[in-house]
Amino acid sequence: MIATISSATVLGVTGHPVRVEVHVANGLPAFNVVGQPDSSCREARDRTRAAIVSSKLTWPQARITVNLAPSALRKVGAHLDLAMALGILAASDQVPVEALDGIGVLGELGLDGSIRRLAGAVPLVDAVVGRRLVIPAASAVEAMVVGNHEVLPAFDLVGVVACLRGEVEWTRPPSVHPAPPPRSVPDLADVQGQPVARLAVEVAAAGGHNLLLIGPPGAGKTMLAQRLPGVLPPLDAVDSLEATRVHSAAGLTLPADGLIRHPPYRAPHHGASAVAMVGGGSATLRPGEISLATNGVLFLDELAEFPSSVLDALRQPLEEGVIRVSRASASATLPARFLLVGAMNPCPCGDGRGTDCRCTDAQRARYRRRLSGPLADRFDLRLEMGVPAVDELLTARRSETSIAVAARVLAARQRARTRGYRCNADIPASELDQFGALDVDATATLERALSDGTLSARGMHRLRRVALTLADLDERDRVARSDVVSALSMRASMAVMV
Amino acid sequence: MSRSPALLGLPVDAHLVALLSLPAMGPARLHSLLATGVGPAVLWDRLGQGWPGPRPSVPGLGSKTEKVWTNWVEGARELELDMVWERLQQHEIGATILGGAAYPPRLAGDIDPPVVLFFQGRLDLITSPLVAIVGTRRCSRYGHDVARRMGRDLAAAGVGVVSGLAAGIDGAAHHGCLEAGGVPVGVVAAGLDTAYPRRHAQLHRDVATSGVLLGEAPPGITPERWRFPARNRIIAALADAVVVVESGERGGSMHTVAEALRRDIPVLAVPGPVGSVASAGTNQLLAEGAGLVTGAADVLLAIGHGARPGPRAEPPPPPDGEAGRVLELVPWRAVSVDQVCAQSELPVRQALDVIDRLVTAGHLARTGGFVERALAVPPNPDQR
Repeated sequence: MIATISSATVLGVTGHPVRVEVHVANGLPAFNVVGQPDSSCREARDRTRAAIVSSKLTWPQARITVNLAPSALRKVGAHLDLAMALGILAASDQVPVEALDGIGVLGELGLDGSIRRLAGAVPLVDAVVGRRLVIPAASAVEAMVVGNHEVLPAFDLVGVVACLRGEVEWTRPPSVHPAPPPRSVPDLADVQGQPVARLAVEVAAAGGHNLLLIGPPGAGKTMLAQRLPGVLPPLDAVDSLEATRVHSAAGLTLPADGLIRHPPYRAPHHGASAVAMVGGGSATLRPGEISLATNGVLFLDELAEFPSSVLDALRQPLEEGVIRVSRASASATLPARFLLVGAMNPCPCGDGRGTDCRCTDAQRARYRRRLSGPLADRFDLRLEMGVPAVDELLTARRSETSIAVAARVLAARQRARTRGYRCNADIPASELDQFGALDVDATATLERALSDGTLSARGMHRLRRVALTLADLDERDRVARSDVVSALSMRASMAVMV
Repeated sequence: MSRSPALLGLPVDAHLVALLSLPAMGPARLHSLLATGVGPAVLWDRLGQGWPGPRPSVPGLGSKTEKVWTNWVEGARELELDMVWERLQQHEIGATILGGAAYPPRLAGDIDPPVVLFFQGRLDLITSPLVAIVGTRRCSRYGHDVARRMGRDLAAAGVGVVSGLAAGIDGAAHHGCLEAGGVPVGVVAAGLDTAYPRRHAQLHRDVATSGVLLGEAPPGITPERWRFPARNRIIAALADAVVVVESGERGGSMHTVAEALRRDIPVLAVPGPVGSVASAGTNQLLAEGAGLVTGAADVLLAIGHGARPGPRAEPPPPPDGEAGRVLELVPWRAVSVDQVCAQSELPVRQALDVIDRLVTAGHLARTGGFVERALAVPPNPDQR
């Protein structure tokens, strides 16, 4: 007798439907799982057996074969346990086969028959076929968020069997809590003085421009980076679901209402491996930091300390917005669209222009070269910062709050959207004349910068995008001289020495 | 090092230059080899053959004797004579030896003259008066502007400028001199076919074209550390006065000062802000009695040169109003633009605009995210 149950498995951040077929036949007692199960799938054998026995059900003394179809796809994880167990029970007539029609099943079994929470629920739930879904109660909220199925929360095997036999009603799915109050993100008002740096944060947020902060320790680079997510607008529905899917696939805890609504902030340490950064680790092709930072901010502190192999791996995602990871067994395309913020010291000793800097010109040049040309090029904004002076820190002038800045950022982003691009940083060079038209003074200033060598031809396009964002923030249609001047101020040359 | 009679009067030929090109072969050691009584051609062949026969004692080798001789023998074997001579011709490098006809008289009477002098350009341009302008490689914008202006004004008054073509003050002084169409005299540590630092390659060419470029090292030699003090003594030897514009407490310029004092040549210095690392040395020199100069006029007075500096354009008047107030906030050392914007209490976009206008007008100099006061150097009215 064959029973078929609908379930799923995850590769990268995408779920794929899986059909669990169970065949119980006469013959010497055996239990085989086929269809490219990984080790945790194969261990299901022991878990299901123990769970069924603990639930006072009968383990069939027969030749049992479980096939996980399609066999071309590698199955990873223990969440197929429950489907296998129910399949075995159905194929041995302990549960009516019709009861499982149109029902998808996900869940890991404990030896006592309890049903465990899923890691990576969202992509799994996305892929399961069926009108209704049996899912561990602890993961029910995530399933509700995806919204494709009628959710049937399950606590243990005994309970599920009873419901399937019609003896008991299914538990009602939990009501989704209203969105919790916004978590406290660090406020931009905490940054005293440093008006140009605060402007750079605003421009980065409004136009999607990658930001490089160069300055000695104590200049406040980390502080600024942490405050950037706070001025980005909340995620719209599509981006929110994408971020939730990625976080879920990585096994991270999600907020209480199941959805990630605010731009994520990731700050990996410079010791992180290339795989941790880019993704593709383990058989599930787990998403890396750049995918987790999608629709949010990726902050790389001490940029020069990252191995060049790791920095090199960033170039393609920065260009394309996705990362393709492949292993011998499978490949996947993961999202990788983030705002990059980098921080580095101006020189090896960290002092920069301070009187204590003892670096030779050669040391300084070598240090700066660690940031390769192509990567340095991706930063539209390059800000050189100094340690704020004491009177700047004690100033009575209050800095603007994140809320005030975020309002302007949102308005600017909406202006940018009308051009047909996600943000100004995406506008190709060929269309800059159309969208970022300069007025006469602006053109003159730009030409002056080009002729005295402050600006290269390639840098000019990046500068024009930044100037366009500045015009958007000021709610103007044409790019004016002050936009070009401000943009130039936020573009320190990488060749700068003392 | 005393004069080397063995070298005097020898024709400067390929063999002599090739011998000087060998590693760790300076004039003194060459002299001790030549003192054995043979000429450079024979010397070269003997080295190429591994030096059969007893070796003469060469000063200053100590424990490295074996290694140095081995290097010489290998060098003599590997170095192609034709190539050496060709390099001289190709780069139009001339060579003159102490006692020769073309050797500059100024140096011939020095206490420690270079025995072989390589040059590009016209040696006859080394006439008086000549003023050396030297200083630190890591100069401030202020020092750079002072050096450039001084080079320019001295040149306009008919005084030549001698310097080392290093980054910073040296380069600025010669740029100023060239701007005014003056005579630059450059003394370098490397071979004349190697431009060091590389970003001064054009400056090297300009100095050789408009004036003269000098050096003790044959072509192909890289600038080793020990060659810099050697070159500094030549700068001092050529000068009627040595002006140090900016220097840290222990810079190469201090060595040039010491060489100038040995020769009773006046040492002059430009004052700088208290607390500025770049002026720590020059301020110290002033405290020790060096003459204080702020411009070409003071220098001319010190060397007793009658001519007045050329007509000087009036610097642009300091701005008033908003721009003036922002200018006041910027000291004579680099501060971050952020700090200036914060202190100005203007909206940040407006402050950035004011700073940009001040930079264009020449009152401020900006590098990256930092800005400092500059002497608005107006274009020379005499120059097209």
